[in-house]
Amino acid sequence: MPHLIAISGPSGSGKTTWISQFLKHQSTPQYYVCPGLGDLSVDLAHIGYRFPWVQVVPEAQLTAILADLPEQATVYLEWGFHLDLGSPFLAELPWERVAVLPPDLAESDWHGWSDRIVTGNPVAAPANGYLPEIWCTPLNGQVFDPPSLEALLLEVSGGAYGQVGRMKGIFELPDGRAFHVDFVEGLPGMAYTELAIPRWLEGRPDRFSGIEVVGYGLEREAIAQTLLDSTLSDAALAQYQQHYQSLDPAEEALFV
Amino acid sequence: MKLAVISCIHGNYEALDAVLCDIDNQKAEQIYCLGDLVGYGPYPNAVVEMIRSLDIPTCQGCWDEDIVEGLNACECSYPSQLAEKRGHLAHEWTNRVIHPEVREYLASLPMTLRQDNLCFVHGSPNSQHEYLLPTMDGFAALERVLAAEADVLFCGHTHVPYLRELENGTLSVRVQQPGQGETQRQFTAPLKRIVNAGSVGEPRHGRPNATYVLYDTDTTQVTLREVPYDYKKTCAAILEQGLPPIFAWRLERGMEFAERAEDAGHVCER
Amino acid sequence: MQWAILSGIEGNLAAYEAVLADIRRQRNPVTDLYIVGDLVGLKGDNEAVVRRVREPQPGEPIPQVCTGWWEEQCFSLHGFRGLPDAPELVERYGLGAVKDLWETVSRQTVQWLATLDFGFHELDCLLIHGSTVSYSDELTPETPPITLCDGLIRADANTLFCGRSGRAFECWIEPGALRSTVTTLDQTAAPQEQEKSPRRVVGVGNVGRVGQPAYVLYDPGADRVSFKQVQGSVAKGFGASKGLGYR
Repeated sequence: MPHLIAISGPSGSGKTTWISQFLKHQSTPQYYVCPGLGDLSVDLAHIGYRFPWVQVVPEAQLTAILADLPEQATVYLEWGFHLDLGSPFLAELPWERVAVLPPDLAESDWHGWSDRIVTGNPVAAPANGYLPEIWCTPLNGQVFDPPSLEALLLEVSGGAYGQVGRMKGIFELPDGRAFHVDFVEGLPGMAYTELAIPRWLEGRPDRFSGIEVVGYGLEREAIAQTLLDSTLSDAALAQYQQHYQSLDPAEEALFV
Repeated sequence: MKLAVISCIHGNYEALDAVLCDIDNQKAEQIYCLGDLVGYGPYPNAVVEMIRSLDIPTCQGCWDEDIVEGLNACECSYPSQLAEKRGHLAHEWTNRVIHPEVREYLASLPMTLRQDNLCFVHGSPNSQHEYLLPTMDGFAALERVLAAEADVLFCGHTHVPYLRELENGTLSVRVQQPGQGETQRQFTAPLKRIVNAGSVGEPRHGRPNATYVLYDTDTTQVTLREVPYDYKKTCAAILEQGLPPIFAWRLERGMEFAERAEDAGHVCER
Repeated sequence: MQWAILSGIEGNLAAYEAVLADIRRQRNPVTDLYIVGDLVGLKGDNEAVVRRVREPQPGEPIPQVCTGWWEEQCFSLHGFRGLPDAPELVERYGLGAVKDLWETVSRQTVQWLATLDFGFHELDCLLIHGSTVSYSDELTPETPPITLCDGLIRADANTLFCGRSGRAFECWIEPGALRSTVTTLDQTAAPQEQEKSPRRVVGVGNVGRVGQPAYVLYDPGADRVSFKQVQGSVAKGFGASKGLGYR
C-alpha cells in the first residue's frame, strides 16, 4: 500500500522543512504535492530543484497520479493553511494527518484534524478565523539586478507593502545562478540558498522562478511594480551574460 | 565663533525647521549649508526660500545640479536599478514643482565655500558625486583635505555624520630616473580633519532624527547633533504630494529614500 | 614572461620600428607588448602607425593598446565622446592642430580607436595613459607625494605604469604612519594606524614624441623594471640599442 501523508499547519510553521527531511532518502519512490497555488508554486519548484529524484506533482495531474501509485510509494501532500481541513478530497483517501504547529499553540482546528502533532517554528498562529492573504506570481524568465533584489526583499519583509508574515521565492541572478529565499516573521534573518542547478548564461532562463507572499493588507500592485523595476532589460541581461561567459571558469570560482 | 554646518535637506521642511531651532538654542553665529536642498522630499521650494531668507552660504549638491542641468547623474551614481528608477521619479516630480527663481538660485550656487582654514563641499573637492565614507583609505582621505587646501574639510552627501581626524601622515618618495642617481624626499602632513555634516532631511544612520554638526573655530571642537522632529508630518506630505510612498516608509526608519552607491571611490566622469 | 610597455608613438613610425627592433633583440623574449596611449599625434604618419600596430608581423607580440590624450582629442573632434571641438587641443596646440589631426586620422581609424580600453589591469599592475582620474593626468616624480599615493590607491594596484608625462622614471611611494580616528553619533572608535607596503608609479617614457625612442621592460616574476632607450633610426641596425637596466 502506498503511504499517504497530509501535512498542515499555520504559515511558516515548518511544514516543508519537516517534509524535506524524508525526501533526502532515495530508496523508495516519493511524490510531493502542494495544491492551491496553481500549477507551479515556489515550494513545488524548490522541492523539484533540491530533490530531483522526487516526483513533484502539478495539481492538474494529482488525481491521475494518485490512481496509479507504485506499492512502495510515499506521497507528501502539503495542505496549505488557507485550504479547508474538511475538504472531501482529504476524506476520500486514507491520509495520515500530520500537523506542524508552533510550540505554544494549545488549541486549533489542526488539533482536532490531525493524527499526530509535530512541534515546528515558534510563529504566531493567525488570530481567530482571520486568515492572512496569499499573493504569488511566477517570475519565469525574469532576471534581477542583485542590489535591487536585496532592497526589495528587505522592504517586502520589513512591511513596506503590507504586514508580511511569510515570503518565499526563487530568483534568477545575472551570473546565471538561482537562489531560494525564505523569510518567516519572528525568525531571525532571511535564508538565502543557492540552488544546485546549472548556471543559465544564455538568454532568459526557461525554468521556474517566482515569489509567494503571505500577510495582511498586501499592496499587490506596489509589490508587482517594485519587482518589475528590479528586473533586467534584455540589453542589460545580454551585457551581463557576455561578461560572465567571458570569465575563465577557474578564475570565476574565486569569486563564488 | 560657533558655526553650524547643515547638509542634504532634500525638501524636508519639517526637519529643517527643527534643526534651525536647535541651532538657535545652541547659539551658533554662522550657518553653512553643503547643498542638496531639493530632491526626494515634498517641500523643495519652501526649503530653498528658507535658506535664502536666512542668507545661509550654500554650496551646490548633486541634486541641485541635476535640477539645474537636467538629469546629469549617470546610472553609476545609483546603487541599484530600483534606486535609479525611484530617483528618476523624484527628479521628475521636483523638476515639475520647482519655481523658476528657485532653479535660478540653485544654478548660482558655488561648488566650494571657504572660511580661513575651513573648506565646505557637498561630496568631495573633486566631485559632488564622490562619497567620503569614514572607511575610506586614510591616505586617500588625507589627499582630499590637502586638495582642498584646508585644515578642516566639511562634506555631506553620505547622510551619516562623522568626524575623522588624520594625524602624523607621512610618506616618503624614492625616485629613480635613467642616467640619474636615486633621489628621496619626505612628506609630512599636520593634523587634518574631515567633518561630515550628516543629513537634515534624509538621515541614514538608522533613526529618523535629523543630523548636523557644530564647529567652534576657537576651540576647534566638533559636535555631532541629532535632532528629533515630527517626521510623520513629512511622511504624510510625501503621500499627499503623490511622491512614491516607499520614500515615507524608508524615511520613518532612517533608511534614506534610496540607498547610496556602494563604490565610494567611484567618480562619475560625466 | 617579460612585458614591453610603451607610450607616445604620436605617429612616428620610424621610432616605433626602432622600438620593435629593439624588442626583437631582447635575450629574455618579450611576451606581452602594451601601448598605453598616444598612437597618433601631429608630426608623423598616423595612419601608417595604426596600420603597423594593427598588423603585427609574424612572431611579433600582438600589441595591446589603450587610449591616450591624443586619441581623446580625436574622439572630441569626431563627436564620439567628451566635449565637442577638442578645446584641450586648441588650447595647447592652436587651431592649426585641429585641422592637422582631422586630416591625418580617418574617421574609420577613429572608430577603431574608440573600441580600445582605457587601461589594463594585469597581475597587480595598472597600465594606463594618465591615471584613473583622467587621461590628461600627468604623473611625474615632482607630483605631490600624496597625489601619487592617492593615484595608486585609486588604481588599486601595486604598480601604476603611465605615459602622459612622456618621462621615464620609477617612483616608489612608501607610506609611513597615519593615525585615523573616527567619531560617529554612537561612538569614538579606537585610533587606527594605517600602514602600507611601498607601491610605485612608473613613467614609461615616450617612443616618438621627443628625443630618442624610449620604453620600459617589466619582468613580473622578478618585479623588475628596466628602462630602454633606442639609438636613432631603424637604419642603424645591430648594436644600436643601449639598455639602462637597474635596481
